[in-house]
Amino acid sequence: MPWFILTSKSDRFSEELLIKPLYSDHLYVHFQFATKWDTNPDQESFRHTHIFPRALGEIIERYNVQELHVSLAGGLWRYETWGYPILDAAPGAEVWAWFKADTEDVDKNWKELASSLSGLLCASLNFINVDNSVNPEYTFKPRGVVSDQKINSTYVRYASLPREIVCTENLTPWKKLLPCESKSGLASLLNSGYIHNVRYHSIAIHMRPVCRDDACEFTSLELQQSVSLVYDYLIMGTKNWSFRKLFGQGLMGPCPLSENSVIFVDTTSNVSVPFQLIPSPDDYITSVRGGHVSTFAKYNVKPYAMSINANYLGKESVLLNSPPSLHANQYITGYGQERGGIVTKIYNNHWGALEVVVLQNIPWYVPIYLHTLKIDVNGVRVEPVGIHYIPGRQRQRPYHLEILLKLPPRSVASVSIDFDYVFLKWQEYPPDANHGFYIGSAVISANLPLARNFTGLPQDGATIADSFNASRRGYLVQVRTENMVITLPTPDFSMPYNVICLACTVVALAFGPLHNITTKRLVLTVKDNEKLIVKIKNRIVKAWTERNSGSDVNQSVQ
Amino acid sequence: MGLLTDPSAGQGKLTKALLKYYTKLCVLLYLGGIGWLCSLAYTPMNAGTYFSENALLPGLVKSEFREDGTARTFHDELLDEMKKYDDSIPYPWLLAKFKQIGLDTYTHNFTLHYPLGKPQKFTGKNVYGILRAARASSTEALVLSVPYRPPLSVHATTSPSIATMLAFAKFANKEKYWAKDIIFLITEHEQLGMQAWLEAYHGTTCGNEGTLNHGDIKGRAGAIQAAINLELHDTSVGQVDIKVEGLNGQLPNLDLFNLAAKMLLKEGIPHTFKNRPNKNLRDPVKDWYYSFQTLMAMISTQATGIPNGNHGLYHRFGIEALTLESVSHNGKAGFLSMGRIIEGIFRSLNNLLERFHQSFFFYLLPSSERFISIGLYMPAICLIAGALFIKACANWCQLQESQIQDDSEEKPKTETQKPKAKPKRKEPKDMQKFWKDMKAKYEVEVKSYKPPDPDSINFVSILFAFLMTHVIGVLVMNSPQLLTMLGGQYDFSTEVSLFSGFIAVSAVLLLTPLFVPFKSCEKSMAVLNILSLLELGTTLICISMNNFSLAFFCAVIYVPLALIVGVTRCRVCSGIKKVVWLVAHPLVVLTVTVLTYTHVMFPGEKLEANFYRSLAATQQAIVFSIIDSMIYGNWLFSVVSSIFIPNWLCFWIVAFSNIQPNEEIPKKKID
Repeated sequence: MPWFILTSKSDRFSEELLIKPLYSDHLYVHFQFATKWDTNPDQESFRHTHIFPRALGEIIERYNVQELHVSLAGGLWRYETWGYPILDAAPGAEVWAWFKADTEDVDKNWKELASSLSGLLCASLNFINVDNSVNPEYTFKPRGVVSDQKINSTYVRYASLPREIVCTENLTPWKKLLPCESKSGLASLLNSGYIHNVRYHSIAIHMRPVCRDDACEFTSLELQQSVSLVYDYLIMGTKNWSFRKLFGQGLMGPCPLSENSVIFVDTTSNVSVPFQLIPSPDDYITSVRGGHVSTFAKYNVKPYAMSINANYLGKESVLLNSPPSLHANQYITGYGQERGGIVTKIYNNHWGALEVVVLQNIPWYVPIYLHTLKIDVNGVRVEPVGIHYIPGRQRQRPYHLEILLKLPPRSVASVSIDFDYVFLKWQEYPPDANHGFYIGSAVISANLPLARNFTGLPQDGATIADSFNASRRGYLVQVRTENMVITLPTPDFSMPYNVICLACTVVALAFGPLHNITTKRLVLTVKDNEKLIVKIKNRIVKAWTERNSGSDVNQSVQ
Repeated sequence: MGLLTDPSAGQGKLTKALLKYYTKLCVLLYLGGIGWLCSLAYTPMNAGTYFSENALLPGLVKSEFREDGTARTFHDELLDEMKKYDDSIPYPWLLAKFKQIGLDTYTHNFTLHYPLGKPQKFTGKNVYGILRAARASSTEALVLSVPYRPPLSVHATTSPSIATMLAFAKFANKEKYWAKDIIFLITEHEQLGMQAWLEAYHGTTCGNEGTLNHGDIKGRAGAIQAAINLELHDTSVGQVDIKVEGLNGQLPNLDLFNLAAKMLLKEGIPHTFKNRPNKNLRDPVKDWYYSFQTLMAMISTQATGIPNGNHGLYHRFGIEALTLESVSHNGKAGFLSMGRIIEGIFRSLNNLLERFHQSFFFYLLPSSERFISIGLYMPAICLIAGALFIKACANWCQLQESQIQDDSEEKPKTETQKPKAKPKRKEPKDMQKFWKDMKAKYEVEVKSYKPPDPDSINFVSILFAFLMTHVIGVLVMNSPQLLTMLGGQYDFSTEVSLFSGFIAVSAVLLLTPLFVPFKSCEKSMAVLNILSLLELGTTLICISMNNFSLAFFCAVIYVPLALIVGVTRCRVCSGIKKVVWLVAHPLVVLTVTVLTYTHVMFPGEKLEANFYRSLAATQQAIVFSIIDSMIYGNWLFSVVSSIFIPNWLCFWIVAFSNIQPNEEIPKKKID
């Protein structure tokens, strides 16, 4: 009967773990959880779900969401030395979603979707609003299957919250979306005390409709949940890693609801920096993808306690870093608080020309000037292939800039644009006003012809196993640059305090005399011509008598 | 001002008092200002330093730095390595070390096109490594910089600070608490390399375009919050001097200074400010004098506007920075203590949630434990500059009074003329008569025309003269390149051609009073004098907002001289005033200052040798100030040439007022 129950259900869950030593003394650990549910996403009411998280299902149903991509990341993915991650994520929070074509008010749905997600993931996604979201024309195309051939970018929204700090409070609700939560399976390794002491950590949710089979007559709903971690051997104190060192505990078997539960260890680097895996893997897989060969050790998670250790075999050889084909960074130019510039540098290390799209979502409080847009390739001024620009409006809309560029082989392109520093209204400053204001990362998208340093999943796949031997025509990368922080002219917020102090002092000083004048009667007295000594004597005598006699006597005197 | 400009109010009590006492008042204000500043060094008059920024949490953590052995190894290796490079940085070794430690390592090339004289090109290369913080995404950074000094350098070596830096980098890269990237920077060519790196990091040019080609850098780490420049000259450190004065007199936030002082205190290394340790002398006079000397040392450094260390170049970019320099060699402290101090400072800075904005940016330090805030020292300069404003006011009132007197003298004349014209103008009955009348009137007017009164104020020409002097000033500011080019054609060195060029220009400018048409008009001269006084006063106040020390020195020198110069009738007085004002020429002031300084610094020398030495020093000072303005954007030369020289010229013209004594009006005393 259990067999019948499993097959009768139309959803499948798989969990995978990829461990990959990176160049530069880092270890990349990626958890991939994929759920595929053979149901029609357009008609599904999410009243009853089996493996698929109902909490998420209700949200996407309610807000008419076709595709949803959420990522929360701490730290920055260093493309130059680490290559490409399996799933890109910008530092902080990043959300993009496609709404169904019959959505009436996309902006309203978007705002409410973000607020609901905020509750679901305990992140401040509720700060996503129309005034910091754009609808990218080229960068964010639907990842899943679409019924309509014409794609209308009015149904997509993208926003990032660069200031968001990602930690345990996001991980715990995220784990609850998994079928086994963190009770068993690979997710039980996600021990907050360990996985946040890393160079980079990100959690993500990607939901999209996919084809049920190759014929693509029906569609299914697919959910990918992932955690990416980059450990640093220096922080760990040793190069020899084990589950205990990485996660503080061993693995107690697979998630019973999962269809397959596998661990892959990338052993491609074993040639140059050899390490020994204990226990020895169940299988070795060689993957040839886009002209790049890599080998993986495969472990099937068995229903008993297991741990994987890697011991490096002394022999150290100096590695030469070969940066990936495309990487980028972004920085602020200028000083002072009058004028500044944003520069995005894009490095094409490939031997061929690359076509890239640069997306910049610049907040409204950083007014940029399009006429100052300057694109230099290897120091020579060039014109972009195309520009999609929607100027921002104060407090209403961010500056949305998308630039299509053709990068010549082995070139460095720098895209610079100038902006003004503006004053905000005094209530618009955050409590720590002098921390500065964030500008989110730029997204640089390209279809790479080669899969060197590329670990991403193919568009038709949802699991790491799908990416083996998955040679395609192009490999989509979406490189995220650093966030930037700028110091806007900030008023001295202690000034109101000073004003209050001063005003209170003045009031207090004025109150005394006013109170005296209004409550006391002025009475004429005879000016006494007593001498000073006599006066003092009288005073002393008076005080003496008052002290001796009781208070009742005093009253009677008065 | 209505009170002062309204002629009818000229008889006011205030005006009368002003006219009566303004000379005494000016002297009083001047002396009061100087006295105020001097008294600020007295301990009860200033305040003790304190931490304003709570987030710094200074010295709260236990020091964990234990890499002193590594530092010693690094130092020995570096000394070996340095032998191979006489005049440059051992790049391969440094890059290898940075890489081994696990930092992102970069180099930065820059080029200097020497702006004066023959075209020359100098190149340099900085090395830096970035520690990527585990807890942040490279949005904020801290900098630890060391100027590299090759064995051939005239300055004391900094190899121990490089060893300390590397050891600290090795220690820090293993820690997971960093929330800000740390940039470890080793610069070449002292301040030039530092400036080039900062310009490249921020993608801007501060000086003249095309002078310093800052090149480009690849690795960045977001907004830099603070920087420490480390200059250790020996492996054992006796005491550490904290240097703060930056470009154009900018200072770092007082909290950073306090932090450094506190960390040094915590590690038990004596620290000094201006190479003077803190002393608590019991005798109040001695105590005051000691603090006053420290204060004056700071003021004189700040007044030059030249940074006294690489930290000074950061300030412009909104980066708080200071230099820690080890002073005496035979001390107990070594790499361990210095590493722990650096650790303490950087961990405190790592705690910062906001950029430095609390505490003070404008202050003077009479010792490292006490400070004088802007609110306390500004009255000093305001009092001194106030003397100029008082004198300007008084002169204006005098002018008004004499105007009223003149009017009352002239009135009878105009009244006698009027009755003649009045009957003619009335009753123009028919056109012919009207035209006749008009013609007659015209003829009368032609006859009665007299040239404008030479004694009346001609504002247009005054303003023109005022403007022209400033145009000359701007020309002087832009002349250096032309002068060196001219000098270069006759094979003069840059120094000589600039110095002699400026002397020649100044000599020509001495003739300007010849071209002023209103020399004999007393009132016009008085107005020009008032304008000049106001300009000088305003300039001093403005400069004091940026660089108090410079303004204070200028005020002390110029205010009494400017008060003396004025319109006078007495020939002898006029002569004296001219001589006095000639002494106040910026060029003369500079020469005299350098002469005195040289005399003090080289006491045993022969007078002649001393003179030549100081002359050479003066020439160099001029060249350096021009170069500084071209490369670093130091505005001392620009301010002097575009404001002080024109102002000086205006006063010079005033000193040449040529009033005929026979035209004497009684009871007039303009001085």
